[in-house]
Amino acid sequence: MTTDQWIASTCGLCYGTCSIRAHVVDDVLVKIEGNPESAIGRGRLCGKGVAGIMTLYDPNRVNVPLRRTNPVKGKGVDPGWREISWDEALDEVTARLTKVHDDDPRKLFIQRTTTNTAIRAPMMMFAAAFGTPNSWAAGGGLHCGNGAHLIGGLYHASWSLVPDFKHCRLAIYFGASKGHGAGHVSCTNMQDAADARARGMRLVVVDPMANFASAKANEWVPIRPGTDAALALAMVDVILNDLGVWDAEYLAQKTNAPYLIGPDGCYVRDAETGKPLVWDAARGHAVRYDTPDGAALALEGAYDVAGVRARPAFVLLREHVRQFSPEWAERISTVPAATIRRLAREFATEAMVGSTIVLDGKRLPYRPVAAIYFRGSQGHKNSVYNCFAIELLNQVVGAADVVGGALGFNPVCYGHPETGKPWYEPKSGPDGLMITGTWVAPHLPYPISDPKHPSTMSLGGLFPLGMFGPTMASSDQEELWTKFGLPYRPEVMLNYGANSLLSVGNSDTVAETLARIPFIVSFDITLTEFSEFADLVLPDASYLEALDSRPNVPFIFNHPAGLGAWSWPVRQPVVPPAGQRRSAAEVLIALVDRLGIREEFNAVANTHLKLDGPHRLEFGTPYRHEEICDRELKSHFGAERGLAWFKEHGVISWPKRVEEVYWRAFLDVRVPVYWEFLIGLNRKAKPIANAAGLDWDDAWYDPLPRWMPCPSHEVQDGAFDLWGFYYRDTLHTNSFTNENPWLDEASRLDPFSYTIALNAATGRRKGLRDGQPVTLESPHGRRVRGRVHLTETVHPECVGIGGCAGHWAKTLPIARGKGVMFNDLLEVDWAHGSPVNLNLDTCVKLRIAP
Amino acid sequence: MARSATSDRLLADLGATFRPQRQWVEGRGIWLIVGHFLSGVGAGTWLFSLWLGYRPGLGLALAAVALSGLAHLAFLGRGARFWKMYRARTSWIARGFVGMTLFLPGAALYVLRPGGALGGLGLALATAGAVVLIVYKGNVYAASKGVPFWNSPVLPILYATYAIRGGLALLLVALPLGGRGLDAHGVGFLELWVAVSAAVMLGFYLGVMRSTNLAAQRSVAELVRGRAAPAFYLGTVGVGLVVPILVGAAGFAGPLSQVVLAAVGATSLAGDFFAKYAIAKAGVYIPLMPAGRGPAAPAA
Amino acid sequence: MRYGMAIDLKRCIGCYGCQLSCKAEHGTPPGVFFARVVKREFGTFPNTQLVYLPTLCFHCTNAPCVDVCPTGASHYREGGVVDITKDDCVGCRACMQACPYGARYFNETQTGYFPGQGLTPYEQKKYAAQNVGIVLKCNFCIDRVQAGLEPACVANCAARARTFGDLDDPHSEVSQLVRLRGGEQLQPELGTRPNVYYLPPA
Repeated sequence: MTTDQWIASTCGLCYGTCSIRAHVVDDVLVKIEGNPESAIGRGRLCGKGVAGIMTLYDPNRVNVPLRRTNPVKGKGVDPGWREISWDEALDEVTARLTKVHDDDPRKLFIQRTTTNTAIRAPMMMFAAAFGTPNSWAAGGGLHCGNGAHLIGGLYHASWSLVPDFKHCRLAIYFGASKGHGAGHVSCTNMQDAADARARGMRLVVVDPMANFASAKANEWVPIRPGTDAALALAMVDVILNDLGVWDAEYLAQKTNAPYLIGPDGCYVRDAETGKPLVWDAARGHAVRYDTPDGAALALEGAYDVAGVRARPAFVLLREHVRQFSPEWAERISTVPAATIRRLAREFATEAMVGSTIVLDGKRLPYRPVAAIYFRGSQGHKNSVYNCFAIELLNQVVGAADVVGGALGFNPVCYGHPETGKPWYEPKSGPDGLMITGTWVAPHLPYPISDPKHPSTMSLGGLFPLGMFGPTMASSDQEELWTKFGLPYRPEVMLNYGANSLLSVGNSDTVAETLARIPFIVSFDITLTEFSEFADLVLPDASYLEALDSRPNVPFIFNHPAGLGAWSWPVRQPVVPPAGQRRSAAEVLIALVDRLGIREEFNAVANTHLKLDGPHRLEFGTPYRHEEICDRELKSHFGAERGLAWFKEHGVISWPKRVEEVYWRAFLDVRVPVYWEFLIGLNRKAKPIANAAGLDWDDAWYDPLPRWMPCPSHEVQDGAFDLWGFYYRDTLHTNSFTNENPWLDEASRLDPFSYTIALNAATGRRKGLRDGQPVTLESPHGRRVRGRVHLTETVHPECVGIGGCAGHWAKTLPIARGKGVMFNDLLEVDWAHGSPVNLNLDTCVKLRIAP
Repeated sequence: MARSATSDRLLADLGATFRPQRQWVEGRGIWLIVGHFLSGVGAGTWLFSLWLGYRPGLGLALAAVALSGLAHLAFLGRGARFWKMYRARTSWIARGFVGMTLFLPGAALYVLRPGGALGGLGLALATAGAVVLIVYKGNVYAASKGVPFWNSPVLPILYATYAIRGGLALLLVALPLGGRGLDAHGVGFLELWVAVSAAVMLGFYLGVMRSTNLAAQRSVAELVRGRAAPAFYLGTVGVGLVVPILVGAAGFAGPLSQVVLAAVGATSLAGDFFAKYAIAKAGVYIPLMPAGRGPAAPAA
Repeated sequence: MRYGMAIDLKRCIGCYGCQLSCKAEHGTPPGVFFARVVKREFGTFPNTQLVYLPTLCFHCTNAPCVDVCPTGASHYREGGVVDITKDDCVGCRACMQACPYGARYFNETQTGYFPGQGLTPYEQKKYAAQNVGIVLKCNFCIDRVQAGLEPACVANCAARARTFGDLDDPHSEVSQLVRLRGGEQLQPELGTRPNVYYLPPA
């Protein structure tokens, strides 16, 4: 008998997690389509999403637990896998983890991929219950978001930002591809961005390469990598000092621009409450920033307050940017000064400061401009100032989370109309600055916690502006851990799907760090280069064989921004797991009971999943993954809408409200245009660092942004005449999808996907022809090989490399030998990380090796 | 891995600005070139053998066309369905199939039973078929709108010229096998004349193609300095035109031996084959371009 | 009724969603693409543009492929769709040489996407022996269209660059787009009269 069914679920080929419906005939998956009932993708998928069939049915998948027999670990060394039973495997994991747990739980190092986000919640809960702070996303953060995500959180209470595609008139992207490529909300953004183009939104893209967003832009502004801050600061200078344009009302009410700054650079505070003071021009004296009816807060002038000469932060900002002339920025960024002036003027003019619009009967500020930053501008040692400087463009004209401006991804949600859940909104925190309503990563972007002597592998305690640090896999990790007296070393690693050999930096450095870890367990769907260092590989169920009650939660991470609908979809198996594959979430929860940490786990789960009322977990009771999923759904959508309801319906949707999308006008929170907190942070962190013998440069802790060179800008040897950078390909997610033969085939068809893009004139000058194999070499002697593609779409000083390819594992026959592993050129050490947020620099000076 | 090398080339072709034609020349495609070559030579041989009254030539012609049919079957993806190729209203391939259908039984009949009404019918069928076979081939290429290099009215004339010359050439090769009753010198002279014509035609064709669209220009480039250049210079021009013309011209100085003439025939035949091979090999498809734009990529 | 498509080069962002959803819909073997995306760059740095050109069979009104087909396997069917009767194709490939748009593919063997590792369950379900040794092409997903659905490439396009409909109906969305946006055919000088129109990128 033929069975034929469509099953609603969620894609897992990138963290975009679009809603899908899977066509299953006679238990065989024959088609994946987008689910039109969900706002996430709105029924459309990218090429990866529809190609998931080939990932599911890859004959190279792992089907049974595997135990290493060869004690020698190294790149290209065969581990000598032996098949073992699940019982045997879990017994060994339990024994290893029990020993570590009894000894020092911090010796457990947890690593996960950013590709499949389903494991994030179970892993975070497991780590918290187990008691280890050492957890990271294998290069994620270092490359993509220590700066952009935390600064997105600081200003927009969200993981990322997009232009308000429905109302924006001019968007300037700085190394971003929102709506034109892969990543967060990719499929919905593609549609919204196409609508915006059709409507006439002008898009300017600042990028060393003219593909994806820049290919669709009205104007491409080629830039030298890592110099975005120079360009943005010069634009801010032109806007504030030449054009004299700013949104005084927004700055006074929604930022710390009016806060009075003393000669020491710090806030002048109210003696009684310690709250920062502002100058009230109406009253003629200083008041606390949160004084009711403080309508006339001064942005200009200088005042004697509490015995010091104090000036509003905005005055300092204007004075500070004076030094960044367009001519100065041209020398650094290669963007002509005239272009900088023109872009600044266009941005300031198009912002229409003072204008309003009525939506849903409510009069709201209308600022149809947006400056958007992401991976390109953020993936540098100087990511903090790059993102800060670009964000200032939005802030000075008041184009943040208002109609037409730069929107965070759903910072406010007032919940389903029947249950009022999920519910969150940003609130005012210390010094009146905004605390996000919900967050993704282990710590909030604000308030900035006090730096302390680091006790984690990432040294994170000393760098509260970062999420993850290079020392998780750096060449100098041992040296730094010793300096700071880290009282333990990683003894067991629990890895979920990450291939850190490819995703962090040069593979030799990462290999050395992995080889030092005595025992590594890895949940994987195929054996990868990482497996060469694993002791135990557990066969994971793929995203099409697994259950997840929160594939798109939290909404600030990956839910479409702007007006429209809310959707909470489910992920469910569309086919049963083949072989002995088991979902990692289920296995983790089985381990919870084996390790005797159930009470801790349930307590964490209650908080993390916001379980409520009768759906809370009782501390001593063992629950399976499926039951926890059921309780989470019921907690949010009522007892009648548990897992069974979601399995049948796939998704629940309800309309968004104007107050949720354009929340800035409705909530009394401020964001910092002057990072006063950096001064205090520096004062406290520096002695700790100095005591450990670490070099420290105060320049990185200035409360106002400046352009700081990347290591690549300081290379003196003229032989290294090219800047190398990588960019995200629409066809691939990290290194994971290279093994999918449909995507591999499309990549081989694509002129850029697997090649080294080099400016045609530069290439001709070097005597290169299109398709010629070349070796790229870094000043540190790192080398990669690939075929050069001569193109007019790259800055003459640059080579652009797509994605994270270049696999060598024989266990990945499709991916093996394809494309270029850019990361192999990157140093992973203290010198290449940011001394303020630990971001890794991902641009590198190169030469074509002779 | 051969398999993956093939797919690499296929994908590289699809990504190229000028996608090379490979179906009718590479892999099993070579059988089509062989088939086209043999059917043209066979038909030409048939006509000249009749004209010169050279009976052994008729057998040779039949054999060549029959082998051509087999070569075609070796080329087709689904050779067993060959009998379906009768939609001759618009298809030159179907017309060629009709030509072969007329020729093979007709020629067999006339060769086996030359006399009588049946023989007469066979002669009529075979001769009509031979004319069709000479005419159709160039038109098959010329009807290929995707390959501008072929899509020209000059090509059918060129290929008909080659077929006629091929017929003469095969007769020259056959001479040492006992060509009684054949004026070897006259055949040699004809052969020279047609070789010169073919050379002129070829030059004219390439000249025309150089001044047409980008894809045809690219094909000319492939022929004179690209993928098809070795076959073109060595086969088509060197062995196929220069040698026969030089040797033929030498014939004016004094009579040439039958063996030399046979060698001229053989080189002409090789030239005929390589003309088809090189022209097929040089074929590239019209590039996919947005309207009103030309390719930016250098044509190297 | 004349089925046709408008492809908006302004909306397309070259994500390959059409190419791969087509592949998933039809289970086409390696190297065969009924729909695909071609990337072409124009101009010189810095005044350069990368154009994403999604393609498929243009279902020409004067289809050269139909004219040259010796068996009638290539034919026009309802709505002007150009299709191949698989059981009639001899695999002569004249249609491939006739098509100015590279829309046809010869399927030589029945190989899967994991060479040397057999066919996946999906491929076992989708591959058909009757597809071997013949030419394959897009048929505007006529089975989907007759079931009231859009062609797979249209239904999946995230940027909504592809619009499908009846070009004979002046009020259809596709007709209006072609008219209002100045839709252009590729190589109109060939007289093939394609029923797929491109809307300009700028």
